[in-house]
Amino acid sequence: MSLNRDFFVALFFLVLSGVMFVATFQLPPPMFGQMSSALWPRTILIPLAILSFVLLIISQRQSADKEPRRSLREWLVYYKNPILCFGLFFLFLVTMPVLGMLIGGLAYVFLTLSVLGGWSPRKLGLHAVITAIFVVGMWAVFTQLLGVFLPEGTLLRVF
Amino acid sequence: MDLFQNLAAAAPQLFTVSTMILMMVGTLAGLLAGAIPGFTIAMAVVLVLPFTFTMSAVQGLATMIAVYVGGLSGGLMSGILTGIPGTPSSVATTFDGYPMARGGKPGLALGIGVWSSFFGGVIASLILMVVAPQLALIGLEFQPVDYFALIIFALTVTASLAGDQMLKGLMAALFGLLVATVGSDVVFGQPRFTFGIDSATQGFAFLPVLVGLFAFSRLLNDVRDPEAAHKALGGHDAHAVNIDYIHSAKEVLKRWGNVIRSAVIGVFVGVLPAAGSTISNILAYDQAKKTSKDGKDFGKGAVDGIIAPETANNATAGGALIVMMALGLPGDIMTAIMLGALLIHDVIPSPSFISDEPVIAYSIFLAFFVANFMMLALQSVTLRGFVLVTKVKMYMLTAVILFYCALGIFALNNVGYDMWTLFIFGVAGFILRAFGFPIVPMVLGVVLGQIAEARLSQVFARSDDIAIFLTRPWSLFFLLLACFSIVFPAYQKHLGKAAWTKYYPSVLLIVMALPVFMMPGIIRPVAAIGMAIAGVVMLIRRYRTEPQQEEVQQ
Repeated sequence: MSLNRDFFVALFFLVLSGVMFVATFQLPPPMFGQMSSALWPRTILIPLAILSFVLLIISQRQSADKEPRRSLREWLVYYKNPILCFGLFFLFLVTMPVLGMLIGGLAYVFLTLSVLGGWSPRKLGLHAVITAIFVVGMWAVFTQLLGVFLPEGTLLRVF
Repeated sequence: MDLFQNLAAAAPQLFTVSTMILMMVGTLAGLLAGAIPGFTIAMAVVLVLPFTFTMSAVQGLATMIAVYVGGLSGGLMSGILTGIPGTPSSVATTFDGYPMARGGKPGLALGIGVWSSFFGGVIASLILMVVAPQLALIGLEFQPVDYFALIIFALTVTASLAGDQMLKGLMAALFGLLVATVGSDVVFGQPRFTFGIDSATQGFAFLPVLVGLFAFSRLLNDVRDPEAAHKALGGHDAHAVNIDYIHSAKEVLKRWGNVIRSAVIGVFVGVLPAAGSTISNILAYDQAKKTSKDGKDFGKGAVDGIIAPETANNATAGGALIVMMALGLPGDIMTAIMLGALLIHDVIPSPSFISDEPVIAYSIFLAFFVANFMMLALQSVTLRGFVLVTKVKMYMLTAVILFYCALGIFALNNVGYDMWTLFIFGVAGFILRAFGFPIVPMVLGVVLGQIAEARLSQVFARSDDIAIFLTRPWSLFFLLLACFSIVFPAYQKHLGKAAWTKYYPSVLLIVMALPVFMMPGIIRPVAAIGMAIAGVVMLIRRYRTEPQQEEVQQ
């Protein structure tokens, strides 16, 4: 068995197709002679499963990935920046009810800039200026000019 | 006559001081965004979208079109001055633009690029005004079954453009369609695939999905490499120069044949689903090289080598708008975003859109026309801004834009759920990219999913007979085209090597003649007979020449 990335992709889509196909049986039956709500998903899932199976077969004809296999640590180092960005964005969303868009946004942009750009005092100063200008600027445009009620959070009651 | 009456009705809506200012700002933003390598035009239009929520439909769409036109032209600045194309649509511009600039004529090279973009855009907007209403009349013949087949064709042709990754392209398109089924059933509004999560009944709004898959994942891809993240956006080569407008205009007008040919190529490619300016600029460059007397000068700073790609990429926007306006279907990311903007303003694009909403439709035509003049006027101003922007580092842009994406997506419906959708599809897009999956088919799958299901339900509401897919001429036409588009990547790959590729075009003509022959009227059946005869003649010629070639080889 050749364990390349196409193999894992095909496997993922096969499992997904199977799970979703089973889930279509939980959907209610059609009414008034209309199209069943399960028909369209099944119409998608059947070819998706077939194509996934084809990809699985093709993946077995290929050799293992040419790229050197990375250990978990190497893999984490390789994708460090995107993982950190996703992590910070996740925290930004989770803390939104407390920090709100303004404070949360300031914290998120400053931290993302510093994580990606570096922590030297000069850079921190530059990042603070960029954060203040863009986050406060955008926040002001949306709330004051466009009249959008952005999440204010429990820390700072603006409205 | 209708054309002029409708234009006269739309003009007062468009030519207001506020709309003109917004369009100028949009053009400037587009020019700057297009000039920044790694920052796509689609991303610029996505970022402008939230600002249009509070505008009228005409103002909002005019602003977005201005960004689109500006973005298509902005790419030439970095392409010519630094050799790094600002957008994929200006890749071919660098082939001759950069050598000419390095040869001591950067002002002339920029001028040729700017004028070519301008003429490409103007020609395309004239074609748009004439063709779109006519195509919409054909679109009125479409029944739900034809629409459904058209969507299938759009998805297969999008997947086929992934070339060697055709299989993954098709899987991505199907995955996009599957994502669109989550939430509520289109027919009854009953929850579907929510797995007990209440908020999931809202489904996934397509703009957060689109921004997540396309912009969010791409930005994080750009900062994956720490070294690349610290690099300035446009290198350090960019410097301000004066654009030589007069000399360059003369050079472009002397080559009007190339301008018209490239504009037509651009519009044609734009009409094809998902084939966009990334393809048209290279195709037009290739054609210019083949037909030019000075073909040997290409790659060394040939004037025709700048004219062709720049004319074609701006003209492509006109072609993409033709399909969206006439049939109500987005063919690429740009028009998908435009479609989203129309839906936000409660305007539902369909073949009757131009006749139902003539003021909005003709305002879009006019806005596209006017934006090209603005682009011409603002290019010099932007050049100085571009030199400043290129000094910004990639990671700074990423951090600010990620926040802005969240802000804009929240403003869409004022619900936090959309930001989670953005995050989830940002992660999904990043992983799919890493696994070599093309993103565009998936985005189109998400956009077209609910439309396809609604059309399919209309088909089954009328009849259970699935033979209707084969007995309706337009449906058969699009389904056959879909089949040929699936084989197309193999045809391209084996062209000239495998014997069957010789017969592909002739078989295509003969087979497509059948649905055309089934269409009403006289012209189309007669055209079908012509297609069939041409196909048979081609087939016989190919068949006869093959043994002769074998004899010669022996």
